[in-house]
Amino acid sequence: MYNPIMENNWLEIADEAIDTTQIEQQIYERMAKRNFQLYNNSECPKEIARKLWQEMIGNTISNKLAISLETCDIVPRNYVIDWRIPILGPINALLRRLINAEIRRFLSSSLEQQSYVNRQVYQLLHDLLEENAQLRREIESIRKTQKQVEHHASSSILS
Amino acid sequence: MQVHQFYPSLSYDDAISNQIVNIQDILLQLGYRSEIFCEQQPFLAKRQAKQFIKYVPYSSPDNILLLHFSRAYSSQIMTNLKKIPDRKILIYHNITPHTYFAGVNEIVFESTQMGRKQLKELATITEAGWGDSQFNCHELMENGWTNIAVLPIIFNSKQYVIRPESKILRQYKDKTNILFVGRIAPNKKFEDIILTFYYFKQIHPTANLILVGSSKGMEKYLAYLQTLVQQLKLSDIMFTGHVSGAELVAYYQSADVYLSMSEHEGFGVPLLESMQFNVPIIAYHNTAIPETLDGSGILFKTKNHVAIAELMAMVIEDKHLQNKITAHQQQRLPYFFPDNIEVKLQKYLLKAN
Repeated sequence: MYNPIMENNWLEIADEAIDTTQIEQQIYERMAKRNFQLYNNSECPKEIARKLWQEMIGNTISNKLAISLETCDIVPRNYVIDWRIPILGPINALLRRLINAEIRRFLSSSLEQQSYVNRQVYQLLHDLLEENAQLRREIESIRKTQKQVEHHASSSILS
Repeated sequence: MQVHQFYPSLSYDDAISNQIVNIQDILLQLGYRSEIFCEQQPFLAKRQAKQFIKYVPYSSPDNILLLHFSRAYSSQIMTNLKKIPDRKILIYHNITPHTYFAGVNEIVFESTQMGRKQLKELATITEAGWGDSQFNCHELMENGWTNIAVLPIIFNSKQYVIRPESKILRQYKDKTNILFVGRIAPNKKFEDIILTFYYFKQIHPTANLILVGSSKGMEKYLAYLQTLVQQLKLSDIMFTGHVSGAELVAYYQSADVYLSMSEHEGFGVPLLESMQFNVPIIAYHNTAIPETLDGSGILFKTKNHVAIAELMAMVIEDKHLQNKITAHQQQRLPYFFPDNIEVKLQKYLLKAN
């Protein structure tokens, strides 16, 4: 639910009359005593917020991939040969079934193979996009830290 | 020498419009002729402004034009600025990084992206850049300015000497109230405030969370926040929208703690307002916030919502601690008073002259 262990000096109170370490310690003691409840008893609130963001706003991976896993399958599995016109209809249907069977014999394995490749590529793209998003977050975090360091270094020059 | 100011549009109550009006007051006191020019005639503003297309009679190479910059200028404005012979000084109020608006508002996303690109271009047509904070000045440096100075936001405490809205005072009287003031925007991290309030509510079950600020243009983000409140089964959270001066004063007077989880602030005027109303400030340490507070208030470096909820509770329960914090905040506030900023502005203008 939350990580009670935090690094020291996460609080900054410049007033020398206030003992920041003591305040941090008191907070830890209060946290340890408190028995926080999860109102819905299922998920951490932070996780709820994160998932809701992804659902409502975030550029989700599935949104970025304009295709779905289902469209990767290009085998015509639901092709039905039927007839309505009497006499000619059944003859027509028989001929089409024969031709269809022949075509499927040499095309089927290729289509199945291609569908398999499509699914593999889809999964690979999905994983790459996730990794890309994670790396972007990490880069952003590093940039922020770098900016803060540079800002502290240059603030003495500016003043 | 005349010193005029430009901003795309002036509104009634936002921090930048107030800064423009306050600067004009100082310029007039110093004896300069000073007008405010906008791209569009403001519908409702505290001060009269003229349309920038009528700037030509005021234009002169001896004059200084202060360009207030917080969002992209139109291409028409950029073209006109390059044409006029006036000496131009940029006053940079910061532009929120465009990445915060991805998925929230594509127009704002592009506009903020364009604005940051324009910064580099404006460096070539201005002779100096003044930032509200050293943080803003640092961004100016990164974009090519070498002649920079800090001109802080002018805090005119007289603007807050108004009768507070009594209905709000009655509603929140004798209750524990957590306050945040700022437009509803993703960089302000309202979801973190809500998550902290989730735990705080278990410490003080009758507490209220008051979120003051307009959500104009950020409807999608507001919908996310409201859905989050529902899913967390939280109550007593008020999204006030835009408020009047009297309502704002009432909210500050009712607040027990001002909590900021914002991850990007070019200055943070509500921090000064909290100081004015003796509301202890607890804020996330980032961007210009530590500089605005300059050692006052309480800063935290890690967003542990549980720990921050306990910290808020401690500050509210311990009057001695609270008084120490607000006393320190009161010592910081005069730095931003008009008299102090007038001295800086006069010095910068003399240097420019």
